[in-house]
Amino acid sequence: MVGDGDTAVPEIRVEGLGKAFGRREVLRDVSFTVGRGGFLTLFGPNGAGKTTTLRLVATLLRPSSGSVAVAGYDLKDDPMPVRRAIGFISHNALLYRDLTAQENLRFYADMYGVADPGRRIGELLERVELSHRRYDVVSTYSKGMLQRLAIARALLHEPRVLLLDEPHSGLDPHAVEILDGLLGEIRAAHTFVMATHNLRQGLALADQVMILDAGRVVFSHVGRLAADEFAAVYHEHVREGALV
Amino acid sequence: MGLRQYRAMVRKDIVRELRTRETVVAMLLFVVLAMVVFHYAFTVPGGGDLSLLTGGMLWVVFVFGALLGLNRTFAHEKDEGCFDGLLLCPVDRVTIFLAKMTANLVFLGLIQVIAVPLFALFFATGRMATHLPAFLALVVLADLGIAALGTLLATIAMHTRARELLLPIVFLPLVIPLLIAAASGTSAVLSGTAGSGSVLGRLAFLLVYDGVFLVLAYGTYDVAIGE
Repeated sequence: MVGDGDTAVPEIRVEGLGKAFGRREVLRDVSFTVGRGGFLTLFGPNGAGKTTTLRLVATLLRPSSGSVAVAGYDLKDDPMPVRRAIGFISHNALLYRDLTAQENLRFYADMYGVADPGRRIGELLERVELSHRRYDVVSTYSKGMLQRLAIARALLHEPRVLLLDEPHSGLDPHAVEILDGLLGEIRAAHTFVMATHNLRQGLALADQVMILDAGRVVFSHVGRLAADEFAAVYHEHVREGALV
Repeated sequence: MGLRQYRAMVRKDIVRELRTRETVVAMLLFVVLAMVVFHYAFTVPGGGDLSLLTGGMLWVVFVFGALLGLNRTFAHEKDEGCFDGLLLCPVDRVTIFLAKMTANLVFLGLIQVIAVPLFALFFATGRMATHLPAFLALVVLADLGIAALGTLLATIAMHTRARELLLPIVFLPLVIPLLIAAASGTSAVLSGTAGSGSVLGRLAFLLVYDGVFLVLAYGTYDVAIGE
Protein backbone atom coordinates (compact mmCIF):
# COMPACT_ATOMS: atom_id res chain seq x y z
CA MET A 1 0.00 0.00 0.00
CA VAL A 2 1.98 2.96 -1.22
CA GLY A 3 0.95 6.50 -2.13
CA ASP A 4 1.40 8.39 -5.37
CA GLY A 5 4.89 9.41 -4.28
CA ASP A 6 8.07 7.57 -5.07
CA THR A 7 6.91 4.00 -4.42
CA ALA A 8 10.44 2.62 -4.49
CA VAL A 9 11.36 4.64 -1.42
CA PRO A 10 8.93 4.20 1.46
CA GLU A 11 9.26 7.31 3.62
CA ILE A 12 7.10 5.88 6.39
CA ARG A 13 6.79 2.17 7.04
CA VAL A 14 4.57 0.96 9.87
CA GLU A 15 4.25 -2.77 10.53
CA GLY A 16 1.99 -4.50 13.04
CA LEU A 17 1.92 -1.42 15.26
CA GLY A 18 0.21 -1.85 18.62
CA LYS A 19 -0.11 0.27 21.73
CA ALA A 20 -1.53 -0.56 25.13
CA PHE A 21 -1.84 1.73 28.15
CA GLY A 22 -1.73 -0.74 31.02
CA ARG A 23 -4.27 -3.40 30.11
CA ARG A 24 -6.15 -1.15 27.72
CA GLU A 25 -5.21 -1.86 24.15
CA VAL A 26 -5.78 1.27 22.06
CA LEU A 27 -4.10 0.22 18.82
CA ARG A 28 -3.83 -3.23 17.26
CA ASP A 29 -1.85 -4.47 14.31
CA VAL A 30 -1.81 -1.25 12.28
CA SER A 31 0.30 -1.42 9.13
CA PHE A 32 0.80 1.04 6.29
CA THR A 33 3.45 2.46 4.03
CA VAL A 34 3.63 5.97 2.64
CA GLY A 35 5.95 6.60 -0.27
CA ARG A 36 8.14 9.69 -0.55
CA GLY A 37 5.88 12.62 -1.42
CA GLY A 38 2.75 10.67 -0.48
CA PHE A 39 -0.19 11.98 1.56
CA LEU A 40 -2.08 9.60 3.82
CA THR A 41 -5.20 10.76 5.62
CA LEU A 42 -6.42 8.85 8.66
CA PHE A 43 -10.13 9.01 9.31
CA GLY A 44 -12.06 7.56 12.22
CA PRO A 45 -14.30 8.46 15.14
CA ASN A 46 -12.98 9.80 18.45
CA GLY A 47 -10.92 7.15 20.25
CA ALA A 48 -10.25 5.23 17.04
CA GLY A 49 -6.46 5.51 17.49
CA LYS A 50 -5.65 8.24 14.94
CA THR A 51 -3.78 10.48 17.38
CA THR A 52 -2.08 7.49 19.01
CA THR A 53 -0.83 6.37 15.59
CA LEU A 54 0.57 9.83 14.86
CA ARG A 55 2.16 10.09 18.31
CA LEU A 56 3.81 6.70 17.85
CA VAL A 57 5.25 7.70 14.48
CA ALA A 58 6.39 11.02 15.99
CA THR A 59 8.32 9.15 18.77
CA LEU A 60 6.10 10.71 21.44
CA LEU A 61 4.91 7.25 22.46
CA ARG A 62 6.75 3.93 22.58
CA PRO A 63 5.09 1.10 20.64
CA SER A 64 3.95 -1.94 22.60
CA SER A 65 4.38 -4.06 19.49
CA GLY A 66 5.32 -3.68 15.85
CA SER A 67 7.80 -1.35 14.21
CA VAL A 68 7.98 2.11 12.68
CA ALA A 69 10.59 3.39 10.25
CA VAL A 70 10.74 6.98 9.02
CA ALA A 71 13.12 8.19 6.30
CA GLY A 72 14.82 4.82 6.45
CA TYR A 73 15.52 4.94 10.19
CA ASP A 74 13.97 2.57 12.69
CA LEU A 75 12.21 4.46 15.46
CA LYS A 76 13.31 2.07 18.20
CA ASP A 77 16.99 1.80 17.25
CA ASP A 78 17.57 5.26 15.86
CA PRO A 79 15.05 7.82 17.20
CA MET A 80 17.20 10.95 16.65
CA PRO A 81 17.22 10.92 12.82
CA VAL A 82 13.50 10.10 12.94
CA ARG A 83 12.88 13.19 15.08
CA ARG A 84 14.97 15.29 12.71
CA ALA A 85 12.90 14.06 9.77
CA ILE A 86 9.53 14.88 11.36
CA GLY A 87 7.52 18.06 11.70
CA PHE A 88 4.45 17.76 13.91
CA ILE A 89 1.39 19.97 13.77
CA SER A 90 -1.51 19.35 16.13
CA HIS A 91 -4.41 21.37 17.49
CA ASN A 92 -2.01 22.25 20.31
CA ALA A 93 0.53 24.77 18.98
CA LEU A 94 3.48 23.52 21.15
CA LEU A 95 4.56 27.13 21.69
CA TYR A 96 5.58 28.93 24.88
CA ARG A 97 2.93 31.53 25.62
CA ASP A 98 5.24 33.87 27.53
CA LEU A 99 7.83 34.04 24.76
CA THR A 100 7.55 36.04 21.55
CA ALA A 101 7.15 34.39 18.14
CA GLN A 102 10.79 35.22 17.42
CA GLU A 103 11.95 33.68 20.74
CA ASN A 104 9.83 30.56 20.23
CA LEU A 105 11.17 29.97 16.72
CA ARG A 106 14.73 30.75 17.79
CA PHE A 107 14.39 28.19 20.59
CA TYR A 108 13.19 25.48 18.22
CA ALA A 109 15.79 26.47 15.59
CA ASP A 110 18.52 25.89 18.17
CA MET A 111 16.94 22.63 19.29
CA TYR A 112 16.93 21.34 15.70
CA GLY A 113 20.34 22.79 14.85
CA VAL A 114 18.97 24.99 12.04
CA ALA A 115 21.74 26.73 10.09
CA ASP A 116 21.33 30.50 9.70
CA PRO A 117 18.28 30.63 12.02
CA GLY A 118 17.70 34.38 11.60
CA ARG A 119 17.16 34.09 7.84
CA ARG A 120 15.02 30.95 8.14
CA ILE A 121 12.82 32.46 10.88
CA GLY A 122 12.31 35.66 8.87
CA GLU A 123 11.43 33.65 5.78
CA LEU A 124 8.87 31.50 7.59
CA LEU A 125 7.26 34.37 9.49
CA GLU A 126 6.84 36.14 6.15
CA ARG A 127 5.26 33.02 4.70
CA VAL A 128 2.71 32.63 7.52
CA GLU A 129 2.00 36.40 7.47
CA LEU A 130 3.21 37.02 11.03
CA SER A 131 6.30 39.18 10.46
CA HIS A 132 4.52 42.21 11.91
CA ARG A 133 3.87 40.32 15.19
CA ARG A 134 7.25 38.62 15.58
CA TYR A 135 8.17 40.51 18.78
CA ASP A 136 4.78 40.04 20.47
CA VAL A 137 4.38 37.39 23.14
CA VAL A 138 2.43 34.43 21.86
CA SER A 139 -0.24 34.72 24.59
CA THR A 140 -1.60 37.74 22.69
CA TYR A 141 -2.17 35.72 19.49
CA SER A 142 -5.53 34.48 18.23
CA LYS A 143 -6.06 30.75 17.67
CA GLY A 144 -5.57 31.19 13.92
CA MET A 145 -2.31 33.10 14.39
CA LEU A 146 -1.10 30.48 16.85
CA GLN A 147 -1.75 27.74 14.35
CA ARG A 148 0.10 29.64 11.61
CA LEU A 149 3.04 30.08 13.96
CA ALA A 150 2.81 26.36 14.79
CA ILE A 151 3.17 25.63 11.07
CA ALA A 152 6.27 27.84 10.94
CA ARG A 153 7.62 25.96 13.97
CA ALA A 154 7.00 22.60 12.32
CA LEU A 155 8.64 23.65 9.02
CA LEU A 156 11.62 25.38 10.64
CA HIS A 157 14.04 22.48 10.30
CA GLU A 158 12.82 21.55 6.81
CA PRO A 159 11.43 18.15 7.78
CA ARG A 160 10.85 15.47 5.17
CA VAL A 161 7.71 14.20 6.86
CA LEU A 162 4.84 16.23 8.26
CA LEU A 163 2.42 14.72 10.75
CA LEU A 164 -0.81 16.67 11.11
CA ASP A 165 -3.20 15.90 13.95
CA GLU A 166 -6.51 17.68 13.39
CA PRO A 167 -4.68 20.78 12.16
CA HIS A 168 -7.91 22.60 11.26
CA SER A 169 -9.43 22.14 14.71
CA GLY A 170 -10.75 25.40 16.19
CA LEU A 171 -9.67 27.59 13.26
CA ASP A 172 -11.81 30.32 11.75
CA PRO A 173 -12.48 30.16 7.96
CA HIS A 174 -9.69 32.65 7.15
CA ALA A 175 -7.15 30.65 9.15
CA VAL A 176 -8.36 27.44 7.46
CA GLU A 177 -7.84 29.12 4.09
CA ILE A 178 -4.28 30.13 5.01
CA LEU A 179 -3.50 26.68 6.40
CA ASP A 180 -4.86 24.91 3.31
CA GLY A 181 -2.97 27.33 1.07
CA LEU A 182 0.25 26.59 2.93
CA LEU A 183 -0.31 22.84 2.83
CA GLY A 184 -0.98 23.09 -0.90
CA GLU A 185 2.26 25.05 -1.36
CA ILE A 186 4.42 22.57 0.51
CA ARG A 187 2.55 19.47 -0.62
CA ALA A 188 5.05 18.42 -3.27
CA ALA A 189 8.11 18.72 -1.06
CA HIS A 190 6.96 16.63 1.88
CA THR A 191 5.41 13.34 2.88
CA PHE A 192 2.26 13.74 4.96
CA VAL A 193 0.15 11.79 7.38
CA MET A 194 -2.93 13.70 8.56
CA ALA A 195 -5.62 12.69 11.05
CA THR A 196 -8.94 14.44 10.64
CA HIS A 197 -12.72 14.22 10.90
CA ASN A 198 -13.12 16.65 8.03
CA LEU A 199 -14.06 14.90 4.80
CA ARG A 200 -13.32 17.75 2.41
CA GLN A 201 -10.01 18.74 3.98
CA GLY A 202 -9.00 15.13 4.48
CA LEU A 203 -9.54 14.16 0.87
CA ALA A 204 -8.35 17.38 -0.77
CA LEU A 205 -4.66 16.51 -0.80
CA ALA A 206 -4.67 12.81 0.04
CA ASP A 207 -3.55 10.14 -2.35
CA GLN A 208 -4.12 7.44 0.22
CA VAL A 209 -6.79 7.04 2.92
CA MET A 210 -7.26 4.80 5.90
CA ILE A 211 -10.14 4.42 8.34
CA LEU A 212 -9.42 3.39 11.91
CA ASP A 213 -12.07 2.21 14.32
CA ALA A 214 -11.50 0.93 17.87
CA GLY A 215 -7.74 0.80 17.27
CA ARG A 216 -7.89 -1.27 14.07
CA VAL A 217 -7.64 -0.53 10.40
CA VAL A 218 -11.09 -1.17 8.97
CA PHE A 219 -10.52 0.27 5.52
CA SER A 220 -7.58 1.42 3.45
CA HIS A 221 -7.32 2.62 -0.10
CA VAL A 222 -4.53 3.87 -2.31
CA GLY A 223 -5.51 6.53 -4.82
CA ARG A 224 -7.97 9.38 -4.80
CA LEU A 225 -11.61 8.91 -3.79
CA ALA A 226 -14.64 11.09 -4.44
CA ALA A 227 -16.18 12.57 -1.29
CA ASP A 228 -19.58 10.87 -1.78
CA GLU A 229 -18.00 7.54 -2.47
CA PHE A 230 -15.76 7.81 0.60
CA ALA A 231 -18.59 8.95 2.88
CA ALA A 232 -20.58 5.83 1.95
CA VAL A 233 -17.55 3.63 2.66
CA TYR A 234 -16.99 5.40 5.99
CA HIS A 235 -20.53 4.84 7.19
CA GLU A 236 -20.38 1.23 6.11
CA HIS A 237 -17.34 0.62 8.32
CA VAL A 238 -17.83 2.99 11.24
CA ARG A 239 -20.96 2.75 13.37
CA GLU A 240 -20.45 5.70 15.69
CA GLY A 241 -19.26 9.23 14.98
CA ALA A 242 -19.77 11.26 11.86
CA LEU A 243 -17.62 13.02 9.31
CA VAL A 244 -17.81 16.78 9.11
CA MET B 1 24.55 20.33 18.64
CA GLY B 2 24.17 19.27 22.32
CA LEU B 3 25.71 22.47 23.67
CA ARG B 4 23.53 24.65 21.45
CA GLN B 5 20.41 22.79 22.60
CA TYR B 6 21.51 22.98 26.24
CA ARG B 7 22.04 26.73 25.99
CA ALA B 8 18.72 27.21 24.19
CA MET B 9 16.80 25.39 26.93
CA VAL B 10 18.53 27.23 29.78
CA ARG B 11 18.07 30.59 28.04
CA LYS B 12 14.41 29.85 27.38
CA ASP B 13 13.72 28.98 31.04
CA ILE B 14 15.57 32.07 32.29
CA VAL B 15 13.96 34.47 29.80
CA ARG B 16 10.55 33.04 30.66
CA GLU B 17 11.24 33.41 34.39
CA LEU B 18 12.49 36.98 33.98
CA ARG B 19 9.25 37.78 32.17
CA THR B 20 6.80 36.01 34.49
CA ARG B 21 8.75 36.02 37.79
CA GLU B 22 6.46 33.26 38.99
CA THR B 23 9.09 30.96 40.52
CA VAL B 24 11.95 33.05 41.89
CA VAL B 25 9.71 35.60 43.60
CA ALA B 26 7.80 32.85 45.42
CA MET B 27 11.05 31.14 46.43
CA LEU B 28 12.56 34.39 47.64
CA LEU B 29 9.51 35.41 49.63
CA PHE B 30 9.41 32.03 51.30
CA VAL B 31 13.11 32.09 52.19
CA VAL B 32 13.01 35.62 53.58
CA LEU B 33 9.83 34.99 55.56
CA ALA B 34 11.20 31.73 56.97
CA MET B 35 14.36 33.51 58.11
CA VAL B 36 12.35 36.25 59.79
CA VAL B 37 10.28 33.59 61.57
CA PHE B 38 13.41 31.70 62.67
CA HIS B 39 15.01 34.95 63.79
CA TYR B 40 12.18 35.71 66.18
CA ALA B 41 11.60 32.07 67.20
CA PHE B 42 15.23 31.53 68.19
CA THR B 43 16.07 34.88 69.72
CA VAL B 44 17.63 34.16 73.08
CA PRO B 45 17.45 36.84 75.80
CA GLY B 46 20.94 38.13 76.44
CA GLY B 47 22.13 37.04 72.98
CA GLY B 48 23.24 33.38 73.27
CA ASP B 49 25.50 31.65 70.73
CA LEU B 50 23.29 30.22 67.97
CA SER B 51 26.11 29.17 65.68
CA LEU B 52 25.44 25.44 66.19
CA LEU B 53 21.77 25.86 65.21
CA THR B 54 21.96 28.33 62.39
CA GLY B 55 23.53 25.97 59.83
CA GLY B 56 20.52 23.70 60.18
CA MET B 57 18.12 26.64 59.96
CA LEU B 58 19.77 27.93 56.80
CA TRP B 59 19.65 24.62 54.96
CA VAL B 60 16.11 23.75 56.04
CA VAL B 61 15.05 27.10 54.58
CA PHE B 62 17.01 26.51 51.36
CA VAL B 63 15.72 22.96 50.89
CA PHE B 64 12.08 23.98 51.32
CA GLY B 65 12.58 27.11 49.22
CA ALA B 66 14.17 25.00 46.49
CA LEU B 67 11.18 22.65 46.60
CA LEU B 68 8.94 25.52 45.46
CA GLY B 69 11.09 25.98 42.38
CA LEU B 70 11.61 22.27 41.70
CA ASN B 71 7.85 21.78 41.61
CA ARG B 72 7.77 24.25 38.70
CA THR B 73 10.56 22.52 36.73
CA PHE B 74 8.27 21.33 33.93
CA ALA B 75 5.15 23.25 34.99
CA HIS B 76 5.04 25.59 32.01
CA GLU B 77 5.84 22.79 29.56
CA LYS B 78 2.94 20.77 30.97
CA ASP B 79 0.52 23.67 31.46
CA GLU B 80 1.14 25.21 28.05
CA GLY B 81 1.29 21.87 26.23
CA CYS B 82 4.90 22.41 25.14
CA PHE B 83 6.22 19.20 26.60
CA ASP B 84 5.50 17.34 23.35
CA GLY B 85 7.41 20.05 21.50
CA LEU B 86 10.44 19.39 23.69
CA LEU B 87 10.21 15.62 23.27
CA LEU B 88 9.87 15.95 19.49
CA CYS B 89 13.24 17.69 19.27
CA PRO B 90 16.26 15.57 18.33
CA VAL B 91 17.84 16.15 21.72
CA ASP B 92 19.44 13.65 24.06
CA ARG B 93 17.23 13.32 27.14
CA VAL B 94 20.26 13.84 29.39
CA THR B 95 20.73 17.27 27.78
CA ILE B 96 17.17 18.13 28.83
CA PHE B 97 18.04 17.02 32.38
CA LEU B 98 21.24 19.09 32.47
CA ALA B 99 19.44 22.17 31.14
CA LYS B 100 16.58 21.88 33.60
CA MET B 101 19.03 21.23 36.43
CA THR B 102 21.05 24.31 35.44
CA ALA B 103 17.92 26.49 35.42
CA ASN B 104 17.00 25.17 38.89
CA LEU B 105 20.56 25.88 40.06
CA VAL B 106 20.41 29.44 38.71
CA PHE B 107 17.11 30.12 40.48
CA LEU B 108 18.38 28.65 43.75
CA GLY B 109 21.66 30.58 43.45
CA LEU B 110 19.75 33.78 42.78
CA ILE B 111 17.74 33.55 45.98
CA GLN B 112 20.87 32.65 47.93
CA VAL B 113 22.62 35.80 46.73
CA ILE B 114 19.93 37.74 48.57
CA ALA B 115 19.23 35.29 51.39
CA VAL B 116 22.81 34.64 52.59
CA PRO B 117 23.61 38.30 53.45
CA LEU B 118 20.23 38.48 55.18
CA PHE B 119 21.11 35.33 57.09
CA ALA B 120 24.45 36.84 58.09
CA LEU B 121 22.61 39.93 59.29
CA PHE B 122 20.14 37.92 61.39
CA PHE B 123 22.28 35.14 62.81
CA ALA B 124 25.91 34.94 61.88
CA THR B 125 28.94 36.48 63.33
CA GLY B 126 31.93 37.65 61.33
CA ARG B 127 33.13 34.03 61.12
CA MET B 128 31.24 33.51 57.87
CA ALA B 129 33.44 36.11 56.20
CA THR B 130 36.56 34.50 57.67
CA HIS B 131 35.69 31.10 56.22
CA LEU B 132 33.98 32.33 53.07
CA PRO B 133 35.70 29.90 50.64
CA ALA B 134 34.67 26.89 52.76
CA PHE B 135 31.12 28.21 53.06
CA LEU B 136 30.86 28.90 49.32
CA ALA B 137 32.15 25.40 48.52
CA LEU B 138 29.44 23.96 50.78
CA VAL B 139 26.77 26.05 49.07
CA VAL B 140 27.89 25.12 45.55
CA LEU B 141 28.07 21.37 46.23
CA ALA B 142 24.84 21.27 48.24
CA ASP B 143 23.00 23.28 45.57
CA LEU B 144 24.24 20.90 42.89
CA GLY B 145 22.93 17.94 44.86
CA ILE B 146 19.56 19.60 45.52
CA ALA B 147 19.21 20.52 41.84
CA ALA B 148 20.31 17.09 40.53
CA LEU B 149 18.07 15.08 42.86
CA GLY B 150 15.20 17.56 42.63
CA THR B 151 15.23 17.78 38.83
CA LEU B 152 15.26 13.99 38.49
CA LEU B 153 12.38 13.56 40.94
CA ALA B 154 10.41 16.51 39.54
CA THR B 155 10.61 14.83 36.13
CA ILE B 156 9.21 11.59 37.52
CA ALA B 157 6.54 13.42 39.55
CA MET B 158 5.31 15.59 36.66
CA HIS B 159 3.43 12.68 35.11
CA THR B 160 1.30 12.24 38.21
CA ARG B 161 -1.81 14.22 39.03
CA ALA B 162 -0.64 15.12 42.53
CA ARG B 163 2.84 16.21 41.48
CA GLU B 164 2.96 19.08 44.00
CA LEU B 165 2.30 16.59 46.80
CA LEU B 166 4.40 13.73 45.49
CA LEU B 167 7.64 15.65 44.98
CA PRO B 168 8.17 16.64 48.66
CA ILE B 169 7.27 13.13 49.78
CA VAL B 170 9.97 11.53 47.64
CA PHE B 171 12.46 14.41 47.71
CA LEU B 172 12.72 15.11 51.44
CA PRO B 173 13.78 11.63 52.63
CA LEU B 174 16.45 11.45 49.92
CA VAL B 175 17.79 14.95 50.61
CA ILE B 176 18.32 14.28 54.34
CA PRO B 177 21.97 13.08 53.97
CA LEU B 178 22.76 16.23 51.99
CA LEU B 179 20.96 18.36 54.56
CA ILE B 180 22.96 16.82 57.41
CA ALA B 181 26.30 17.36 55.62
CA ALA B 182 25.50 20.91 54.51
CA ALA B 183 24.02 21.93 57.87
CA SER B 184 26.84 20.48 59.98
CA GLY B 185 29.44 21.91 57.61
CA THR B 186 27.84 25.35 57.81
CA SER B 187 27.63 25.10 61.60
CA ALA B 188 31.33 24.20 61.68
CA VAL B 189 32.07 27.30 59.60
CA LEU B 190 29.95 29.51 61.85
CA SER B 191 31.32 28.08 65.11
CA GLY B 192 34.88 28.64 63.93
CA THR B 193 35.91 24.96 63.68
CA ALA B 194 36.10 24.95 59.90
CA GLY B 195 39.82 24.48 59.84
CA SER B 196 39.71 21.19 61.72
CA GLY B 197 39.04 19.06 58.65
CA SER B 198 35.40 18.54 59.53
CA VAL B 199 34.29 20.76 56.64
CA LEU B 200 36.54 18.91 54.22
CA GLY B 201 34.85 15.64 55.17
CA ARG B 202 31.42 17.16 54.52
CA LEU B 203 32.57 18.58 51.20
CA ALA B 204 33.83 15.15 50.17
CA PHE B 205 30.49 13.61 51.16
CA LEU B 206 28.57 16.22 49.15
CA LEU B 207 30.80 15.57 46.14
CA VAL B 208 30.00 11.85 46.30
CA TYR B 209 26.29 12.58 46.85
CA ASP B 210 26.22 14.85 43.77
CA GLY B 211 28.07 12.25 41.72
CA VAL B 212 25.63 9.50 42.69
CA PHE B 213 22.55 11.46 41.62
CA LEU B 214 24.15 12.82 38.46
CA VAL B 215 25.10 9.29 37.42
CA LEU B 216 21.64 8.03 38.40
CA ALA B 217 20.01 10.75 36.29
CA TYR B 218 22.33 9.98 33.37
CA GLY B 219 21.35 6.33 33.49
CA THR B 220 17.63 6.68 34.05
CA TYR B 221 16.50 9.98 32.54
CA ASP B 222 15.33 8.49 29.26
CA VAL B 223 12.87 6.36 31.23
CA ALA B 224 12.15 9.05 33.85
CA ILE B 225 11.03 11.59 31.27
CA GLY B 226 8.48 9.05 30.08
CA GLU B 227 6.28 9.25 27.01
